[in-house]
Amino acid sequence: MSSWLDYTINGLIVGNVYALVAVGLALIFGVSRLINFAQGSIYLVGAYIGWVAVVQLHTPLPLTIIVVAVVAALVGLIIERFGLRPLQNSVRIAPLLATIGISFVLDQLVMLTFSPNPRALPSQLPDVRFQVGGGTIGPLDLLIAGVGISSALLLFVFLRYTKLGWAVRAASQDRDAAMQMGVDVNRVNQTVFGIAAALGGVSGLLVGMYYNQIDTAMSLQATLKGVVAEVVGGAGNVPGAVVGSMLLGLVESYGVAVFGTSYRNLFAFLLLVVVLVLRPNGLFASARQAPPEPLTGTFIAPSRPLRIPRWALAVAVAAFAILPLLPVSFYVLQTLINAWLLGMLALSLTLVAGTIGQVSLGHAALLAIGAYTSALLSLTLNVPVGLAIIAGGLMSAALGTILISPSFRLRGHYVSIATLAIGEIVSLVILNWESVTRGPIGISGIPPLSLFGYDLISPASVYWFAFAVMVVLALLQARLLGSHLGRSFRAIRDDDIAARAYGLSLNRYKSLAFIFGGFAAGLSGGIAAHLYSYINHETFNTQQSILALTVVILGGLGNIVGAIVGAVALVGIPEMFRIAAEYRILIYGIVLLLLVRFRPQGLLGTI
Amino acid sequence: MSNINRRTLVKGSLAMMAGAAFSRAAFADADPILLGVSGPLTGPNAQYGTQWKQGFDLALDEITAAGGINGRKLAYTFEDSQSDPRQSVAIAQKFVSDPRIVLELGDFSSPASMAASPIYQRGGLVQFGFTNSHPDFTKGGDFMWSTSVSQADEQPLLARYAVKSLGLKKLAVLHLNTDWGRTSRDYFNNAAKEYGAEIVVTEGYIAEERDFRSTLVRVRDANPDGLVLISYYSDGALIARQARQVGLKQVICAASSVYSPKFLELGGDAVEDVHVGTRYFPEDKRPEVQNFIAGFKKKYNGQEPDAFNAYAYDAMNMAAAVIRIGGTDRKAIRDAFAKVKDVPSVIFGTATFDVATRRIKGAMNAELVVRNGKFALWDGKPT
Repeated sequence: MSSWLDYTINGLIVGNVYALVAVGLALIFGVSRLINFAQGSIYLVGAYIGWVAVVQLHTPLPLTIIVVAVVAALVGLIIERFGLRPLQNSVRIAPLLATIGISFVLDQLVMLTFSPNPRALPSQLPDVRFQVGGGTIGPLDLLIAGVGISSALLLFVFLRYTKLGWAVRAASQDRDAAMQMGVDVNRVNQTVFGIAAALGGVSGLLVGMYYNQIDTAMSLQATLKGVVAEVVGGAGNVPGAVVGSMLLGLVESYGVAVFGTSYRNLFAFLLLVVVLVLRPNGLFASARQAPPEPLTGTFIAPSRPLRIPRWALAVAVAAFAILPLLPVSFYVLQTLINAWLLGMLALSLTLVAGTIGQVSLGHAALLAIGAYTSALLSLTLNVPVGLAIIAGGLMSAALGTILISPSFRLRGHYVSIATLAIGEIVSLVILNWESVTRGPIGISGIPPLSLFGYDLISPASVYWFAFAVMVVLALLQARLLGSHLGRSFRAIRDDDIAARAYGLSLNRYKSLAFIFGGFAAGLSGGIAAHLYSYINHETFNTQQSILALTVVILGGLGNIVGAIVGAVALVGIPEMFRIAAEYRILIYGIVLLLLVRFRPQGLLGTI
Repeated sequence: MSNINRRTLVKGSLAMMAGAAFSRAAFADADPILLGVSGPLTGPNAQYGTQWKQGFDLALDEITAAGGINGRKLAYTFEDSQSDPRQSVAIAQKFVSDPRIVLELGDFSSPASMAASPIYQRGGLVQFGFTNSHPDFTKGGDFMWSTSVSQADEQPLLARYAVKSLGLKKLAVLHLNTDWGRTSRDYFNNAAKEYGAEIVVTEGYIAEERDFRSTLVRVRDANPDGLVLISYYSDGALIARQARQVGLKQVICAASSVYSPKFLELGGDAVEDVHVGTRYFPEDKRPEVQNFIAGFKKKYNGQEPDAFNAYAYDAMNMAAAVIRIGGTDRKAIRDAFAKVKDVPSVIFGTATFDVATRRIKGAMNAELVVRNGKFALWDGKPT
């Protein structure tokens, strides 16, 4: 039984680590209703500033903490002032995209400054260990716990008993009303970002010391786990975030205890989905709390979409169709094939995120389902590739809709977080269900694309195939949006209560959207599988989901042409900046930020 | 200044242009022979791309100093793939359609490398994957060659070290849950069982994992007398540290992929007495090893090379040897892979491809242990 004590202690220790990030996320969400994807990057910056202080400047620990907190707070203030404040009167989704862009930029800056090699960040605390259960804990564990709990308490007191704290809460409940009462909302936002960033930086420092290791890949993981912990505790609820983190740590630890290490994250994300479905406001939401803000309607601001005349579209399609006949390099064709494949995914996402308002962050899972179905069918059952790809699309439509259906009752950001979790779950199931998916070994030797017995091998034929499938899907989707279905979808997006009052069955329409979207994404995944000939659980990862959402927002939510233009842009920009080598992702992030700044409703506007 | 009128300026620049054109013409034959490298320079695996570069650059310095290849310089162009299959396929098309490129090196991860294989195979450009241990990598076609140490070779050596030399009988195996880690684990477990050890627990973890305390409680409860880490250096160091924190005092053995000064730096005191089976070690008398280590330290301010540096260094030397035989024709280069014999190599001693598998057998073996914060040849004393 002593093992259970150890598992409990270990769960609490790692929960401790999550709490530091979760508290910062909760604070920002509480005030600006924004999932700050840059929080993990501030954490990263904090860790590296700490490294400079400790290893180069040999500062003592209290001074190190102060230095890190001050620098991180400054970074937070800069983000708030130049990244987010200019967007406060634009579409609600723009800041979300901006934080993604900022995180790209910060991560790349750190990587370019410090090289991507991991570094040791030695702890400055005396190396004494206390025996607890079968294992030991060190002073750093206690310090992390102390910082986590005391910052949560301090914040709680600050929010409840100080004037600025009241202002913060007032602004979080109703920004306009707060402004009318004379609250300086900008100052509130600044305060919150400064505090959250300082906390994020210090947590990066402490966690880096805890593992004696910092590297540039730590940012996304920190954000993911922090978001899970925060939502479990109730988004925007600071003490809830601490408890949620502990719970997450415990669930992971017990999951490892019962099923083994490779199931660890599966439990983290299952916990999240279960909590979201049973208690959508988090475990500790009070009954009086206002329901989570319907992001739809306010989230997706009406804008005047750019109308592109039909003849121009026809000319563009014709131009792209004859492109392989012109003397263009295979490299350009291959890049465009990638763009068409991403375009299919974006069509799918722009339908579910833009038209019906279910902003999904787990869309890569649909690709994976389509890809695995098609690959396995053609390899093990010798199904012709063309049919296998269609089967992949159907499987993705069916399985995707079933998996996502528990999140139909959720709204706004919660949909995004639930779909993020579902995406991770699918990827982990692929990793662990070895008898079917071959686990980490992946599937190799997938037959190339073929149609009616003819192999499509030359880049031109693959190009035409992918392009044709995408155009057909786009036309179908345009037809769909023009029909009463499309109007119902948009009605649900703009006001689900009114839509329901008119007798629209929300779940049924959401299912329909996911079925169509799942099919398009599944086709894209299936084609990719046959194009690559090898896939494993890493081929379709979270970065793909984030990329897809970026494409869709960039193109204009719900906008079919926009989705395709966005796909071409986001595949093309990193390729265009190849000449910049290591700097290209930095440039990509900056371009993204500029686009969000000057065209927040998307290039072609929301439909 | 006013004396310089426009005409002299024009004349001057014309002369300069002519000069430039002339110098280009004179050295046209000396255009470098170009290799394409597809690998991660940004993204989560960026560290490995930078390590490759160090190894490549050192090898190229030596090749150039020795007169290049038949008087021509060897050079490479590094395209960043982020180890993402979507980008590696585009890079593959770029390389295949660029006539200057005679050979491709990389990519790093299996999804990125093997997604590009069909393009290299059809395009008739050799894809020389020097870190691709996936058993199916060279099955992609006769243009896929690899100097990656076959895990079928390496893991039995580690198993012999752990079971025969160190006398461990009950092993706990922790492995990265990737294609490499899984393949390695299977080879290791089989070999260890043949040597008479029992595998009491195996745990696979994902690459992003940082917290291993609960995993190590499982390990403790299985009551092994040794831990085997099939890990890279960063996760290997984390596991070693946390193993000591949860009170595990067993012997730790690790695969050669942890062989890096970073392992010592990140692991600190906790990696003391960790046993590592490697392919080379600093005191190795072989001239290629001494050359490599001395050259590396000199070029990179005293930095110690690690396993990935060595792989890249060897790969570039192998590429040079192949091109010396095959010239610059892509198909002839492929055929030359079957012809090169006994290329001096840090990892293999001398490297010769097995034409059937397009891989190299017979990696060198050294049994090291960490003593006083340094890798040292194991002296046979139990720890």
